[in-house]
Amino acid sequence: MSYGQGPDDIAEDFKSALQDLSINSRFEISNLTIIAKENTEHAFAIAESLKLHIKQTPPQKKLPAFYVLDSIVKNVGTPYTLFFGRQLYATFMEAYALVDTSVRRKMDEMLKTWKEPVPGSMDPRPVFPPELTRPIENALIKAKTSFVQAHQEHLKNQQQQLNRVRSTASPATYRDTPTPPNAYRPPPPNVAPGYAPNYPPQQPYPPPMNGQQYSNQPNGQQPYGLPPRPPSQQYPPQVAAGPPSWQQPPSQGYQVAENSIARLNSDIDKLITTSKAEWAQNPYDNSIGTRLKALLDLQTILQNQQLPPDQIALIKDQVDQLSQASQAANKPQLPSTPVYPPVPVVVAQPPAQQPSLSSILGPSALAALARASATPQPVASMQAATQIRSPQPPYAQPYQPPPPSAPTATSAPEASSLLDRLRAAGMLPAVSTPTTTSTSSSSVPVPPVFPPPYLNTPPTASRTPLATLSNDVVLKPASLKERRPHLISGLYERLGAPCTQCGRRFQADEEGKKKKTAHMDWHFKVHQRMAEAEVRGQHRSWYVDELDWIKSREVEDESGNATTIANNSSAATTTANDPKLQYLAVPDDPALANSLCPICQEKFEMKWLDEAQEFVWMDAKKVGDRIYHASCYAEATKDVNTQIKRGTPEPAGVLGKRKAEASHSF
Amino acid sequence: MIPGLGQAAPTATFSAPTITATVAVHELRPESEWRFEVAIGQKIEVRIMSGTAELFGTELALNHVYTFRGTKSSIYTWHGCRIEVTGSCEEYTAEETPMLQYANTHFALEKLRDEAHQRQGDGPRVMVVGPNNSGKTSLVKLLTAYAIRTGRQPMVINTDPREGLLSIPGTLTATPFASIIDVEQGWGSSPTSTSSPVPVKLPICYYYGLASPEDNTKLVKPILTRLALASTSRLAEDQIIKETGMIIDTPGIISQGKGGYDLISHIVAEFSINTILVLGSERLHIEMQKRFSAHRTSTGESITLVKLDKSGGCVDRDDTFMQQTQEAAIKEYFFGDSRSTLSPHTQQMGFEDVTIYKIREANALSFLPGGMEEEATGLYEKVEPNPGMLHCMLAVMYATTSDSQDTVRDASVMGFVYVSEVDDKKRRFKVLAPMNTRITDRPMIWGSWPEASMSVIG
Repeated sequence: MSYGQGPDDIAEDFKSALQDLSINSRFEISNLTIIAKENTEHAFAIAESLKLHIKQTPPQKKLPAFYVLDSIVKNVGTPYTLFFGRQLYATFMEAYALVDTSVRRKMDEMLKTWKEPVPGSMDPRPVFPPELTRPIENALIKAKTSFVQAHQEHLKNQQQQLNRVRSTASPATYRDTPTPPNAYRPPPPNVAPGYAPNYPPQQPYPPPMNGQQYSNQPNGQQPYGLPPRPPSQQYPPQVAAGPPSWQQPPSQGYQVAENSIARLNSDIDKLITTSKAEWAQNPYDNSIGTRLKALLDLQTILQNQQLPPDQIALIKDQVDQLSQASQAANKPQLPSTPVYPPVPVVVAQPPAQQPSLSSILGPSALAALARASATPQPVASMQAATQIRSPQPPYAQPYQPPPPSAPTATSAPEASSLLDRLRAAGMLPAVSTPTTTSTSSSSVPVPPVFPPPYLNTPPTASRTPLATLSNDVVLKPASLKERRPHLISGLYERLGAPCTQCGRRFQADEEGKKKKTAHMDWHFKVHQRMAEAEVRGQHRSWYVDELDWIKSREVEDESGNATTIANNSSAATTTANDPKLQYLAVPDDPALANSLCPICQEKFEMKWLDEAQEFVWMDAKKVGDRIYHASCYAEATKDVNTQIKRGTPEPAGVLGKRKAEASHSF
Repeated sequence: MIPGLGQAAPTATFSAPTITATVAVHELRPESEWRFEVAIGQKIEVRIMSGTAELFGTELALNHVYTFRGTKSSIYTWHGCRIEVTGSCEEYTAEETPMLQYANTHFALEKLRDEAHQRQGDGPRVMVVGPNNSGKTSLVKLLTAYAIRTGRQPMVINTDPREGLLSIPGTLTATPFASIIDVEQGWGSSPTSTSSPVPVKLPICYYYGLASPEDNTKLVKPILTRLALASTSRLAEDQIIKETGMIIDTPGIISQGKGGYDLISHIVAEFSINTILVLGSERLHIEMQKRFSAHRTSTGESITLVKLDKSGGCVDRDDTFMQQTQEAAIKEYFFGDSRSTLSPHTQQMGFEDVTIYKIREANALSFLPGGMEEEATGLYEKVEPNPGMLHCMLAVMYATTSDSQDTVRDASVMGFVYVSEVDDKKRRFKVLAPMNTRITDRPMIWGSWPEASMSVIG
């Protein structure tokens, strides 16, 4: 703020005026805008002052301050746009992490207007250039998905505490929940002005001169219970947030009036109703929850996207099968892996289900915000779905020398196989990595870096069918010319049925099925990660160096990029025997997010782990319900034969590991 | 055509054959091969409608649409299949192929691997030799793919600097293959910051930087030795790969002359080769017999030598095609392929900040008087960035700037940068790097291969 003589005074005036701004007052905001306009020569000082104010002012005053910023950039423009633009991301995100839901919604709306030209202006350029707004949007998309999941988790726990599940809960039911106030009761979309004294209500911000309506409520960001906007106005993060939108009553917002789709939709609808009823009877049956969630997701997908007819046909098949199945036997078996956080039945009550973003307020909010990118994102799955170029046929293929075992996976039409297939087709979000089934930590799964243990088993098993074949080939010209169809079959039908995506074959036995499930999940996750990465930007990695390369091991199954790398960095060598947790995903649970290591009473080091694609705590280990520094724990339990050593936990990239490598000897 | 009727008419007429997305369905009889060539810049989509099909040994999924761009390739079927092809390409179906022989070769190797498994020993180390365009790489790929399908993990080694394997040309690599080979994109991709639809492979790279191994045997030999050392070290610890063994691709040129045979011997010795597959050339087969019939590997094994037929599908790849694939490989390194876009990083560095070694082309230098001096000057010449570097690739080595030239030579490659701008006046230059990491503390090697290429950016 030292820009010469004048600026200081101006900035000081401006600052004190800002201090007084505690509500969304049109008069004060336009006054401040005029000050800014008349003192463009001190724009830098003013901008800095405002940025600082936004940063320091308590959460309830942040929104008016943002409105000042907004008003200035829209009415004055350059050079303010430039100055504010410099740290727009930080300014916006820091505040966003601290304010509560209703303010966030306002901020979302404001952000949306930033992507458009100034109303009434001749200039077609957006208020802020897309390269400034896009990172914010992306971060929000991620954050929302994460929060929604954390919220579901939270709700579920609550339900368990209440030991009661209602099939229809009124919004009031949740008023007395312990999560921070207000969050559960976002203002109904068309609430009258003055709803909450501290927060600018819906209507009262008629911006001074630009005529832009922040309060123009329908700006996309309010799908809870309202008919959705036409797609053009749909606010991307909202679409992305997924879960909130499946809360829409199914009958609403469905705009494609195509017969088959409509029928499909109503089928799904029925199934949802059935599932809900079942759920109400067996609230603890995860499988029902899983199925319900899948159906709801499916519904969302159908409502939000124009799927190609072949995919719709596929879905229809599955739904038909499922309806029959649910009539015949209504106890679908879950595959061992996918465990969705059960979806509370109350989902049908949109207003009550506003995800409580503020349930994770405070310092942990940022961490969770950041961590969010690791969570499955419906947006990714949708993109992934569109990336799939061909319809995914059922496993049963027209295959000439067909192994009769091929269709076994599909013969029983049950929810799990529907899920699997939808997932395989990239239409449903993947479940979190299945290595832990503990519900309390399912939002903090073991990082996907390590494959399920059975993937690590040497592939000898998959060779067994060949071992029985008589192989008399020797490297002699005559022997090489003989025809041996039985050996060729060892490359085809004897290997089992092929994966529909890549042609890799899997045995029909138990192990083969497990592998195939993991394999299909892998395919799905890749689609998803690629879609996410598309947004984030990606790059070629450096090659590994000799030592790491020699130490690295290929896991037998292609569990993806992450697996290969992580296993190839030092983590593989030091934690191969105990791949569990040299690091932990940063917990979503606010209580845990602030926890200290019980042994040394210090905080955990948070860092972004590229391979895991999430924020993690390094050197962290979960023992029971508590999180320790892995090294502290090892130290404390030294005699108990633990393999964890201090200094090892740097499974990070190809480059990062040198240090780790040096700290222990091979 | 009526003159003057519509400007667009002529272009439309000329481009029509390539633009229309023709859909053709081919019915392949069992044990036949559909061979196709897609021009650079063109693409076709292929879908297996029924039956079974494989591309260089990797089975293709039914009803999955595979896209092929700028490639010469083939799809083989053991059981017969029906293929739908969208787009135009040169193609024909061959009934006569050496596939039976090749598959049997795989089964013979499998037998050796089973034996290795039983005695906890080493699997076969297979070297494929043959003149240029005799199908060496295709055979290596086929044997690799079959081994993977059988549940093995072969170590695939490329000693041909003309073409990269999971890297750019000019590199020699070793890569364990545990997962399916990419059918659409060469051998697949080395790791990126995200996932890939086909699992990535992790190569170790050494940089030779010249087109032919005979251009500088003093340089290529120690690098091959180093490559062998790393590979054998990995095998020693990695039981699955050890049982499966190595499959080694070689440059065609070393199968074509006296100096080359010397390099073959070098590879045989360094990698303890015990199986040599000779493709096509009778003469080469005889020469190999002469050379290696009495040879024993370090563990006392004799060498099995067998001649395999060259596939009729082998086509000559002219220089233009090779240059285009080379450029495509470089582009892919920085920008990814059609399925995932990578964003390289531009870095600016001062001339003083970097240590760059230029490879001497020793065999060219040896014509100069004073060959003794050449010996003393070493393999590399330390150079300052200069405009001659524009559009060239520099290999960033896993070494430090204070290391000796021999150490730099033996180091593996960390990655490559592409010189996009050299400003002599300001003494600064710009490079494109795969990611944003400081590289000034690493020595870089400037070779003549891959050649400077304008088309990488823009």
